[in-house]
Amino acid sequence: MSKLSKVADSDLRGLGDLDIDDVLAYVHRDLKRLPDYTELYRRYLSQRWNVYDLDFSRDAVDWRERMSREERDAFVGISAGFHHGERQVEVELPVFMLGGSEESKIYMSSQIEDEARHTVFFDRFYREVVGLPGDSVQAVLDASFEHVSETFVGPFGLLAYQADELRKDPEEPAARVRYGTTYFLWIEGVLALTVMKITLTYCRERGFLPGYYTGFTATCRDEARHVQFGMRFLRDSVQEDPRLLLQIHETLRTLLAMNSATSRRLDLQSLGWTPEEVKRLMIRQLRMKLVDVGITLPPDIQDMVSGITPEIAGG
Amino acid sequence: MRFFTPEWAETVRAAVDAGPPREDKLPEYWSWIDRARTAYTATWALGVRETGLYLVLAWKDGKCVDAAISGDPGSADYVLTAGFATWRELREGADPGQAVMYRRLRLERGNVLAFFRVIYFFVESLAALSRVPAEP
Ligand SMILES: [Fe+2]
Ligand SMILES: [Fe+2]
Repeated sequence: MSKLSKVADSDLRGLGDLDIDDVLAYVHRDLKRLPDYTELYRRYLSQRWNVYDLDFSRDAVDWRERMSREERDAFVGISAGFHHGERQVEVELPVFMLGGSEESKIYMSSQIEDEARHTVFFDRFYREVVGLPGDSVQAVLDASFEHVSETFVGPFGLLAYQADELRKDPEEPAARVRYGTTYFLWIEGVLALTVMKITLTYCRERGFLPGYYTGFTATCRDEARHVQFGMRFLRDSVQEDPRLLLQIHETLRTLLAMNSATSRRLDLQSLGWTPEEVKRLMIRQLRMKLVDVGITLPPDIQDMVSGITPEIAGG
Repeated sequence: MRFFTPEWAETVRAAVDAGPPREDKLPEYWSWIDRARTAYTATWALGVRETGLYLVLAWKDGKCVDAAISGDPGSADYVLTAGFATWRELREGADPGQAVMYRRLRLERGNVLAFFRVIYFFVESLAALSRVPAEP
């Protein structure tokens, strides 16, 4: 079995043995072809995993006894963003499902379920491994919010307000494209894949947190479907009405303008990453999607992309 | 001082104009806010859903030049409203960034993308506003 078909077909146990780079290659492999929504839905049905099958008992020991304080702080600093992120992309997605083709709606039901499951994954990780208190999902989220950096607050907030805008007319093509740029291109295509690469590489190289590694690798494979849906949606939208490209540009201008704000330093060096490497990783994640989908950028946005500050790494 | 009275509004104007104390956060963050604020000219109407009252804050060239309480948001560029509970939580120290991220304030009018281009300036203004002591 080739590496990539192993990614496609592994069960949860098998996913724990995969290399994150193979899963990231799997995310990008189909970007040039872009499967249709029905094919993505079929894939969901065979790739769905049970978040309650994960075992975090060794993770809890690693966390307490093997990881240093600096490593724990950096890990929480970066994963707290996606604890809230999974919640945000879950609750702000139903409004997008109200528009589009019937095939798109059927597929969307699967992504909403994926995102809910990812929220439970982080809820379990924060309770059972990090040890945050709380008797509800919201209480655990509240306990981890202080670790969430501007890298995430701005884009996730933008998504919430764009969802509210879309609610007024879920079929409005320009509002759908602006929303889709924030959700599928930036939050999933750039931020999520960057966080996955950083934390999963750390776990694999150190041999730590096997429950997290398995669950977040499974999450990354789900992300392949989400990003492929999103890029297909953006590509088809622009092919249908080329003026919509301007909506992608305007949204990217806002996302990139927000991207340079950071209020505190996060030491990702302890996880083995320099700020320069994180910056390159983010730019690469963005460029790969734009090129494969054929989204061209005007010079001012290209300059903003080159100026991406790795504030995910704290400056 | 009572919440949403002319006296409170004037104190709030001075507080948001001065901004919150610049402790605990990186200098780069405040530079971002200074850049967003430079030449900023727009009017924000911040409303309480239950009473229909708005705090109307006018920014001109980066200065907060006017504050008024009104039953009408007028021609404000950005109209945002929140319920009593959210305003109370903010006064009691809730994180204004989380309030924005969870859309506890609703943008009733105004361009979403333009609003988010200065979002941390708005968040810190909300922080400064919330620190002004006020009785409900
Ligand atoms: Fe997710
Ligand atoms: Fe996703």
